[in-house]
Amino acid sequence: MTSDTGQQSVRDKADFITGLVFVVLGAVVFYLSYTMPRLEARNIHPTTIPGLVPMALGAGLFVLGGLLAVKARKGIAGEWESFFAVFRTLEVARSMAALGLVLVFTLVLVGSMPFWAASMIFLFAFVVMMEGVLTPTRASWTSILLWAALTAALAGSAIYYLFAELFLVRLP
Amino acid sequence: MFDGLVLLGQGIGHFLTPEGIFNVIWATLLGLAIGILPGLTATMGVALLVTLTYGMETSQAILTLMSVYLGSIFGGSRTAILLNIPGTPASAATSLDGYPLAQQGRAGLAMGLATTSSTLGTLVGIFFLALLAPLLTEVALNFGTYEFFWLAVFGVVISGQLSGSDTPIKGYVTGILGLLAATVGMESLHAYQRFTFGIPQLGAGIDIIPAMVGAFGLAEILSQIKRQPTLLTRTVTDRVVPTLKEVFQYWKTIIRSGVIGTFVGIIPGVGEDVGAWSSYAAAKRFSKKPQEFGKGSQEGLIAAETGNNAVVSGAMIPTLTLALPGSAAAAVLIAAMYIHGVRPGPMLMIENAPFLYQVVGMLLLATLANLVFGLTLTKLFIKIVSIPQDRLMAVIAVLCVVGSFAITQRMFDVYVMLGFGVIGFLLREMRYPMAPLVLGIVLGDLLDSNLRRGLGLTNGDWTPFFTRPISLVLFLIVAVTIVLSIPPISRGLGRLLANLTRRKTVTEPSVPDGPRPKE
Repeated sequence: MTSDTGQQSVRDKADFITGLVFVVLGAVVFYLSYTMPRLEARNIHPTTIPGLVPMALGAGLFVLGGLLAVKARKGIAGEWESFFAVFRTLEVARSMAALGLVLVFTLVLVGSMPFWAASMIFLFAFVVMMEGVLTPTRASWTSILLWAALTAALAGSAIYYLFAELFLVRLP
Repeated sequence: MFDGLVLLGQGIGHFLTPEGIFNVIWATLLGLAIGILPGLTATMGVALLVTLTYGMETSQAILTLMSVYLGSIFGGSRTAILLNIPGTPASAATSLDGYPLAQQGRAGLAMGLATTSSTLGTLVGIFFLALLAPLLTEVALNFGTYEFFWLAVFGVVISGQLSGSDTPIKGYVTGILGLLAATVGMESLHAYQRFTFGIPQLGAGIDIIPAMVGAFGLAEILSQIKRQPTLLTRTVTDRVVPTLKEVFQYWKTIIRSGVIGTFVGIIPGVGEDVGAWSSYAAAKRFSKKPQEFGKGSQEGLIAAETGNNAVVSGAMIPTLTLALPGSAAAAVLIAAMYIHGVRPGPMLMIENAPFLYQVVGMLLLATLANLVFGLTLTKLFIKIVSIPQDRLMAVIAVLCVVGSFAITQRMFDVYVMLGFGVIGFLLREMRYPMAPLVLGIVLGDLLDSNLRRGLGLTNGDWTPFFTRPISLVLFLIVAVTIVLSIPPISRGLGRLLANLTRRKTVTEPSVPDGPRPKE
């Protein structure tokens, strides 16, 4: 299998799955809109009910999701190993680690300590993770830790000064 | 006519103050840096910077955002020329000829040509903005509820069709997702709360700025961080300032690309990248030396850069006159205008006529700043390129949190940003375009309220949606766009056209007996 065909097969599988997700989402939206109150007590015209547009959008999403799944159906035949292999690459690990760090930063650190401290911890951890752990070509740990500390200190304080002091923007 | 010129003069003069010039300088430099750095886009830059403009006076705030927007579209060309990596998607076509020129040791000339043609592209766009916007506003004053409904549908459908994904279906899907996001919260007709699921913060709906910061900021970080790019640098040894002959020998290409870029800008939600590619394709078609395209053609480089910069001014035409975003970044500008008390749309010329001409002034000053910095700060650009991506992305992530929190100072908006960031990342990875999503969010209320209001006015009669002249035209455009996006129909139509052309070519020489035109 050539690399292009392989990529197309992976993309088709992804399109097929997302197509089905949109079919389900469309159906759920349609159901929720259909069962939305019609406000008969207020004597409103039936064509102005709140659920009208969401109902149409849900139906549209259902149809388009179905079309997408049908279009990508050829790709679901054959092996799935290459599809699952995509999730085991360093690239995905880097994206997921970045997302995890952002979630810890926003959901845990922010609010439990001053914003400048939270952002400095996040910046330090992010640089160490990306340049020291999840990287194919790592520099020396001294250099990585030094740069991470420098980035955290400089960028953390600069963001705080710029927003909170200079432009008087309230920080979380 | 004379009033227009006076307003235009006042619009430009309004910003010739120390504050205005200072804002243009720093915002353009920031925009250039955003454009130069791969992974940072114009939309992301404008969305993040809205936070910094809260405390500013309205026109200065929009001037700042406009300078960032134009600066980043222009800045992307530096990386495209020096490293063959488009700094923003808008510069992808620039790299086709810019990079080969740099490889030939003419990186300076390439940057100079890109700078001057960007300026000329913006000027062509500004000309059309000043000319068409007041006319379009007058036409739009006749729009009623039916026309606004179709305008919203038109925006989402056209954007879904043209935003460059592998199938229009994906564009339509993201458009619907955007429209659905806009239905969350209290609807304006009967004050009913839709899809709030008992979460009080959802009652006010989803705010566009946190959504955009997520879809264009966090999503971009998660996409870019996947790879660790190798840092490359290139020295520039030749002259940067081009001669007048080097630029103006391609005056036809400049005008054509400027016009194409402007009209691509007018099409809702279709961005600078499409403007650049369309101009490039047209330039290649009409060029005397098409074989040089892709190998360091100065004409190709000029076409791409004129085209993408003209889109920015062109995008302002529907943005200001119809509140219909001409590009994704323009959608953020609309949100910023509302925050600062400016209501774009047909009433703009009545409520705040000087503002339209102030926008022309903003674009003129911003493009002048681009020209000056573009021709003088070459060494600085090369330094910016070498900033390590991982550290930069960490800083941008912190800015995403600040940018989404600052608008209403509630953590809920940060969670909205996270949600849109994750969804945007997943959709991006599967090649779903983001522009229709943004258009959906911006136009959702327009579509929903005007459809139901129109039906309410007619007691449920759909006829006016199809019989009023402008409504009919908009409906036909939408219908034809959708029908043509169905593969069997578009293929069949393509075959039919090809057959007709072939038959014409075959029959033309075989009519010697027919009547001939007199010579």
